[in-house]
Amino acid sequence: MKGTDRLRRLASYAFFAAFAIAAVSCNEAHPNTTLVPHSDFGREIDFLWNRLLLLGTIVFVLVEGALIFIVIKYRRRENQPTPPQTHGSTMLEITWTLIPAVILVFIAVPTVRTIFITQAQAAPGSLNIEVTGHQWWWEFKYPEYGVTTANEIYLPVGRTVNFRLRSADVIHSFWTPQLGGKRDVVTNRTNYLWYTPDSSTASSVWNGFCVEYCGASHANMRFRVFTVTPEQFTSWVAGQKLPAQFGAVATAAPARGPNPPPPPGSAPGYIFPREKIPDYAVPHSPIPPDLKFTPGLTGNAARGKQVFSGAACIGCHSIAGNPIAMGVLGPNLTHVGSRSTIAAGRFPMAAAYLALWIKNARKMKPEVLMPTLGLDEYDPVLKAKVTAATGGLTDQQIADIVAYLTALK
Amino acid sequence: MATTAISTPAYRGEYSGEQSGLWSWLSTVDHKRIGILYLYTALFFFMFGGVEALILRAQLGAPNQHLVSAEFYNQLFTMHGTTMIFLAIMPLSAAFFNFLIPLQIGARDVAFPRLNAFSYWVYLFGGIFITVPILFAVAPNGGWFGYAPLTTKPYSPGINIDFWVIGLQILGVSSLAAAFNFLTTIINLRAPGMTLMRMPMFTWMAFVVQFLLVLAFPVITIALVFLLFDRFFGTNFYNTVSAGADPLLWQHLFWIFGHPEVYILVLPAFGLVSEVLPTYSRKPLFGYPVMVYSGILIAALGFGVWAHHMFAVGMGPIADTFFGLTTMLIAIPTGVKIFNWIATMAQGAIRYTTSMLFGIGLVGLFTIGGISGIMHSSPPADLQQTDTYFIVAHFHYVLFGGSIMGIFAGIYHYFPKIQGRLMDEKLGKIHFWLTFIAMNLTFFPMHFSGMLGMPRRIYTYDAGQGWDLYNAMSTAGAMIFPIAMLIFIYNFFKSRKSGEIAGSNPWGAGTLEWSIPSPPPDYNFAKIPTVTSRYPLWEGKEVDHESARINSQEGKTAAELGIVMPYNTIKPLLVALGLIIMFCGLMTTPILIAAGAALLVFSLYSWLLSPLEPEHH
Repeated sequence: MKGTDRLRRLASYAFFAAFAIAAVSCNEAHPNTTLVPHSDFGREIDFLWNRLLLLGTIVFVLVEGALIFIVIKYRRRENQPTPPQTHGSTMLEITWTLIPAVILVFIAVPTVRTIFITQAQAAPGSLNIEVTGHQWWWEFKYPEYGVTTANEIYLPVGRTVNFRLRSADVIHSFWTPQLGGKRDVVTNRTNYLWYTPDSSTASSVWNGFCVEYCGASHANMRFRVFTVTPEQFTSWVAGQKLPAQFGAVATAAPARGPNPPPPPGSAPGYIFPREKIPDYAVPHSPIPPDLKFTPGLTGNAARGKQVFSGAACIGCHSIAGNPIAMGVLGPNLTHVGSRSTIAAGRFPMAAAYLALWIKNARKMKPEVLMPTLGLDEYDPVLKAKVTAATGGLTDQQIADIVAYLTALK
Repeated sequence: MATTAISTPAYRGEYSGEQSGLWSWLSTVDHKRIGILYLYTALFFFMFGGVEALILRAQLGAPNQHLVSAEFYNQLFTMHGTTMIFLAIMPLSAAFFNFLIPLQIGARDVAFPRLNAFSYWVYLFGGIFITVPILFAVAPNGGWFGYAPLTTKPYSPGINIDFWVIGLQILGVSSLAAAFNFLTTIINLRAPGMTLMRMPMFTWMAFVVQFLLVLAFPVITIALVFLLFDRFFGTNFYNTVSAGADPLLWQHLFWIFGHPEVYILVLPAFGLVSEVLPTYSRKPLFGYPVMVYSGILIAALGFGVWAHHMFAVGMGPIADTFFGLTTMLIAIPTGVKIFNWIATMAQGAIRYTTSMLFGIGLVGLFTIGGISGIMHSSPPADLQQTDTYFIVAHFHYVLFGGSIMGIFAGIYHYFPKIQGRLMDEKLGKIHFWLTFIAMNLTFFPMHFSGMLGMPRRIYTYDAGQGWDLYNAMSTAGAMIFPIAMLIFIYNFFKSRKSGEIAGSNPWGAGTLEWSIPSPPPDYNFAKIPTVTSRYPLWEGKEVDHESARINSQEGKTAAELGIVMPYNTIKPLLVALGLIIMFCGLMTTPILIAAGAALLVFSLYSWLLSPLEPEHH
């Protein structure tokens, strides 16, 4: 149908003309757009959207055009007699009952088809990923590989990935706008969502969001999806399967400032290069102005491991290779040093941010469950100061932990 | 009742005639004065909810801003929705129900005048109850939809959600009492000859809305009782920490109420423009019977589409298909309404009064909301739209472009009937154009920010996400609203004092309420007219001349005319007060529950034992 194609294109042009005029002034990129799909699922939805947009635009133009024409044409004129007192027209009313009905058929048929295609079971041989939504972070497990990570997913392009969605607490919703639609992560239920990232997306980073309101830090429940080549994915899996590679890297002193690149070449498997991560996937969240860290401290990773293993950390976090750290309430930290962000995408993974995070997470991210650990820090949830007796850590101790964690590649 | 013979007044001095002073307002049972109380209260809450929205927009004006904390932001968006829906738009509609229904059907009051007063006082007290916490930053913070299990005790241990659960229960009492009252009024108190198919369209839509209220509010009441029991008494309807609870139970119950609620919010506005458009086109409403049927059909189908709010929860392909298709079906009667309004104006003699501008604005803007509504009636397409700003854009075109535009059209249209004076048209037109520009500048860019991936209900967003421009536009637009509202408020109070005297029918309208003086006397109609057509004032040959002559006389009191009117009474207020104290006790101390219950029982007993009106002779 050439004619509808042309019309559809015209409608899209009209829609984007307004859009482009608005966008040209600041030339913004749109890294989370739903309008440029990069997966089979995304394209199925995009087909429907284009049809809806086309028909919607036609209806919009006709109805608003008729409205404007009529209110101008039939304005009252001087000495106008009472207009004809028509009460209705059965023919007209039947017509404008039937026309929308016909338009709806053109929407309903592909809609039903797409519902059943996109909600079928994922193809056999798909990559399974178990997603668990927590207030306010994402846990990702690759059951075939025994890999557990948090807030970052690596996907091989061209292979269908089947997400198994479960919640640890309240209802969340899992969404990567450029790769397809969303699916709620519902308490006491298991949902599924699958799609196949296009081969053309190798070496790309996508933003993901929680899109069901889930409490105070709902806005801070983000994640990243790295679509990589199958070879890179295999290498990444191999690296993630290893226990923590502690001590491989020299310690980095926590210092405030822009995100410093990590020491190169330290991870055992493939890691998406930090310098290639586009700006839209690098967090810019401001640091609370009243949160300070002693400048110039140098952490010691070996000491950090001891501090970590003796502090509250182990109650919630697991580190494969550190038999004392077996907590399951917080993110698995086995390869935390290889991640690009902390706090569910709120801050970059860097010593400066990590130090402040450990010191007072609740100032860094509203109502986060991670307790405040910095000695003499005020905990806004407990409304009390942290003391040595309640497990407070000095800045030096925190610097040591930071050195340890950033070394876990 | 319709006698004009002046017999000896059979009643004592405490007759309802007092028209001024605080006490007269506290004890009034006159549907018109209660309507005015609703109007003022709801306009106050409308502005309160507007201020909440301004803070939200200020925060989102640029990325990574922290004017308010995450916690307070979440309270603000919860209360913005709750305030606008339950404390502004519904009561603004109720103001018109109260003021207009008896006038349009040729009655002297509603069926239960004291119950009517009770509805208002419960609304006022409930509104205060649910609003005050925001001033102390302990307001409800679970969203207006209050999804469990987030709203259960383990995840929301504070008192915030308690205010919401109890507040909505209180407001539900008000809505239900009012709904039964108006249903009885419309069914029983119509003037002779006022058949159902001669009723003005506003009364028709009001009639449909009362059915929606009666059927939808019990569902939210039950959903809230479950939640209340979960929170206060440890039951496990939604409490997922214990085994067996299903959080989707809440979603289904909430939306079985929540979707009809959308039509509760918008059908009264449809009714108002169905009065406004014919008046200023000087033509009868096009396709009256179809307008009635489409209103009924929208309401009926409205009960079969609730799960389109839940396309992302994973109901499975069969349910998604069913609810997608029923949702699409609703577009048909809604479209018919739009087309019939346009056809009403066609070949008319259109006067661009402020009221008409708002009416035309509704037709144009609601159409946009309808089209975007179709876009998410398709479940797969909705998976990219739901819980994004695209939805925020959609329902503001429906609720602002539809309900609020219709209500402003109604206010400008009926102000002269209510106050006896005309509003300033020049200021009115400035108000309209500012509102129209602000509305589109605020909400249209949200379509873009939504499709570009911006989630809803986020208190902040990161830089570089491609949303900065559209958010800046929305915030800029939002800042125009307060200017428009201040002009409206100035115009409202100025015109009330010194506007041009309106006379009984300033707009040359055709329906019954324009045959009596402005403002109407407390008894409305000195002689109940006999109705023979839909526009009795237009179709001259059918006018009941005798009653028109009598009814246009001014300055006669009910006593002089021998009309029996209900006594003023404070008892409905006391019953409402007892109810509120009881609910406050639920959150504080059982002593208050006992005190409130005592006041309620005593006042109700005394209410039921005292006569409504003097004996008839």
